[in-house]
Amino acid sequence: MDNILPSYLILGAILFCIGLYGALSKKNAVIVLLSIELMLNASNLNFVAFAKYGPVPALSGQIFSLFTITVAAAEAAVGVAILLALFRNRGTSDVVEMDHLKH
Amino acid sequence: MESTYAQLAWIVPLAPLLAFLVLLAIGRQVNRHSARIGVAATLVSFIFAVLVFVERLGAGTAYAWQDWDWLTIGGTAVGFGYEVNNLNALMLVVVSGVSLLVNLYSAGYMKGDPRYHVFFGYVALFTFSMLGLVLSSNLLELYVFWELVGVCSFLLIGFWYHKPEAKAAAKKAFIVTRIGDAGLLVAILILFWQAPHHDLSFTNLANAVAEGMIAPGILTLTAILIFVGAVGKSGQFPLHVWLPDAMEGPTPISALIHAATMVAAGVYLVARTFFLFEESAAALTVVAVVGAFTALFAATIGVAQTDIKRVLAYSTVSQLGYMMMALGVGAQVAAMFHLTTHAFFKALLFLAAGSVIHAVGKQDVGELGGLGRKMKVTAWTFGIGALALSGLFPLSGFWSKDAILTAALHENAAYFVVGLIAAFFTAFYMARLFFLIFAGKPRSEYEHEPHESPAVMTVPLVILAVLAVVSGFIYTPFNSWFGDWLTGAPAAEHANWTVILLSNLAAILGIGLGWLMYGKRSIDADAFAAKMGWLHSLVKNKYYIDELYRAVIVKPVKAIGDLLHLADRFVVDGVVKLVAGGALLLGRAGTRMQNGQLQGYGLVSLLGFVLLMALLAGRRFFHVG
Amino acid sequence: MGANLAILWDNLAAFFSRGTNIVFTVLAVLVISAAVLMINYEKIVHMVLAMAVAFIGLGGLYILLAAEFVAIVQILIYGGAMTILMIFGIMMTRHTNQDDPPRRPVFNALLLVGVIVLFGLLFYAIQGTAFVTGPALDPGADNTRAIGELVFNNHVIPFELVSVLLTVAFIGAIVMAKREEE
Repeated sequence: MDNILPSYLILGAILFCIGLYGALSKKNAVIVLLSIELMLNASNLNFVAFAKYGPVPALSGQIFSLFTITVAAAEAAVGVAILLALFRNRGTSDVVEMDHLKH
Repeated sequence: MESTYAQLAWIVPLAPLLAFLVLLAIGRQVNRHSARIGVAATLVSFIFAVLVFVERLGAGTAYAWQDWDWLTIGGTAVGFGYEVNNLNALMLVVVSGVSLLVNLYSAGYMKGDPRYHVFFGYVALFTFSMLGLVLSSNLLELYVFWELVGVCSFLLIGFWYHKPEAKAAAKKAFIVTRIGDAGLLVAILILFWQAPHHDLSFTNLANAVAEGMIAPGILTLTAILIFVGAVGKSGQFPLHVWLPDAMEGPTPISALIHAATMVAAGVYLVARTFFLFEESAAALTVVAVVGAFTALFAATIGVAQTDIKRVLAYSTVSQLGYMMMALGVGAQVAAMFHLTTHAFFKALLFLAAGSVIHAVGKQDVGELGGLGRKMKVTAWTFGIGALALSGLFPLSGFWSKDAILTAALHENAAYFVVGLIAAFFTAFYMARLFFLIFAGKPRSEYEHEPHESPAVMTVPLVILAVLAVVSGFIYTPFNSWFGDWLTGAPAAEHANWTVILLSNLAAILGIGLGWLMYGKRSIDADAFAAKMGWLHSLVKNKYYIDELYRAVIVKPVKAIGDLLHLADRFVVDGVVKLVAGGALLLGRAGTRMQNGQLQGYGLVSLLGFVLLMALLAGRRFFHVG
Repeated sequence: MGANLAILWDNLAAFFSRGTNIVFTVLAVLVISAAVLMINYEKIVHMVLAMAVAFIGLGGLYILLAAEFVAIVQILIYGGAMTILMIFGIMMTRHTNQDDPPRRPVFNALLLVGVIVLFGLLFYAIQGTAFVTGPALDPGADNTRAIGELVFNNHVIPFELVSVLLTVAFIGAIVMAKREEE
């Protein structure tokens, strides 16, 4: 096979779907955050793959993935901070318990 | 001008209508004066009716006013109006006269009743309906008033509605007459379809029949269907079952509606549409046979009844049978004559019976007796009425029954024999009634000493008694004025001495037997009844017709009703509950989705997105749009 | 049928003849299995560790894609900082008694279906696209230097914005997680 790009893209799709499944089905909020990180990683993989094998190979794909990593890290930090605050208030880190959107 | 009063004939029905409306509006306030309002209105009616009648005595053609188009269907218009001819004028006088006397009588009879004003209101409404029926110029208008009369009858039979028997009797009357009315309605529909210009007025229909524009088969069918309507309203067999039960109503009502006027409406209808019957021998035969049968049938039942009013009710059914038989053999004049005389003496008999009931509060002859001494006027007038009904010379009943029997003999000897036997029974049970009530010793305790009724009740009795005596002379074999006037052609009335002798003989035999069994007590009635055994109980139980109807008609219909009720509850309600349940389920599912959990929302979003993408991708395969 | 199998075998042989492809396959299997294990483990710390392995595997894939700088950043930040952050998060939100999570079989089944369909769509999209490969990327000798030049010459403003974002984020995190003074 001289074209390996589809393989990378499919790998990214697989990781994305696994991450989605984890985000929507896990009970512990930390694992939900972790699954979201997996989804972001999958998209990063796409960027970097296209950076090398795309129609116009350029380094901007890699640069964009750097920015994505940065933002993801910031988001994870804030997420954990919120989780700690919620845990202090409710005593649980179970996402099923957090149903204030109901009202 | 010839038709001055005919032009004002509309006042005759409208005066009682006005009384009804007044009593409806302010009846409660003028409770004590309700009788005066009723009497005043019917007096006005009566005066105008007499004026119209007198005018008609000299008049030639009928007067009609038909200017108001009531319904316009497509190109045809159904009119509303009134017509005054000789037949109408006679009925106007009879109806308004009897109504006036009954109103007067009721002032005394219904005194103290909590719904006094309601009673007079209903009576006024009834009078209006009956007069309207009589004046109708077309068949549809007649049907409207026909139904209205039925409604008034229902209201008045069930006047004392806290009595369950009264409620049941009112329902029964309405439903049974409805069966007859269905026949009449079908006849009207057929005529509407067949008549030229779809005009249902009597003149138009008579012309159509005379010119042969309607097929003979249709004529016979229509005539029989109209007769079915008459059977219902006039209590002929097999729809006679409501009349005896209708005696649950107040006695003045029995006199007015179920003796003199409403039940005569059937006879009037057949007379009015006689041009249809004349063309069809089959229809006439049906009418005559049903009439004759009913006359005999009801007379035999009357012999064994113990309630005064029930005896009189069966007597009414029997006499109406006579009238129908007369119409069936083509003797219109005899029928209308008998209708007139019957109105007088039957109303008299009912009012006298009412006087008795009012005085002692009992209706069963087994509990009465010995009232002749205390209530002289009532006894005398009752006696005159009974003699008139029995057809004894020279009272009015004799002349009218004689006319019928002569015509019957002329047509077919069988009718004559039936009529004669029924006359015998009639005389017998009237004599039985008279002696059981007024002669002998009281058979039970009377609460207070019975005394004669007040003048307001006895005066109508006397007036009716006088009429019962003299009204026969307008149409005798020696003086056929009435017949000439009614039919507009000289009516040949020959004196048939066989008939005269035989009918009087039958009456005397009947009265004699009655006196022997119940007056002098030389034949023991109870032993006789015991010897007859099953025959006596058959007759006493009205030939079990009511039980038959209950088993064959009422129970199956009720069963169907119950079945449908079940179907309604389970099938129809089931469907409704299904739909409601479905909506509820949908709502609950929606509630579960909106539970505030992020992951749930996420799932729904994912599924929606996936669905959308799948549909978009699928367009490739299905080349849609 | 036989001909198809032969073609498949030939293709596979051609694929695995190149070294990079073998490494790609190994790393891909590693990452996928780590992700799947993360979903399936019972204990939460095991889950986090599996995730860390997945991150590192991804770093390896980046190296394969001639993105060395990104690979190192990935390993440092994801495999290092993120994992530790998550473990701290777990540590601080631990119940003494962790009860069994309520099973939601319908939910999970529906989710599985949805995810599989999504993957199917993506797979279909990818397979159906004819990718035009341009000239191969010349990675240059020093990836870091190349990236640095690009960032500070062409993409300075996003760079500055991201730094502001980071500042805001850590201030926010501190404020959020601060224990309320009594």
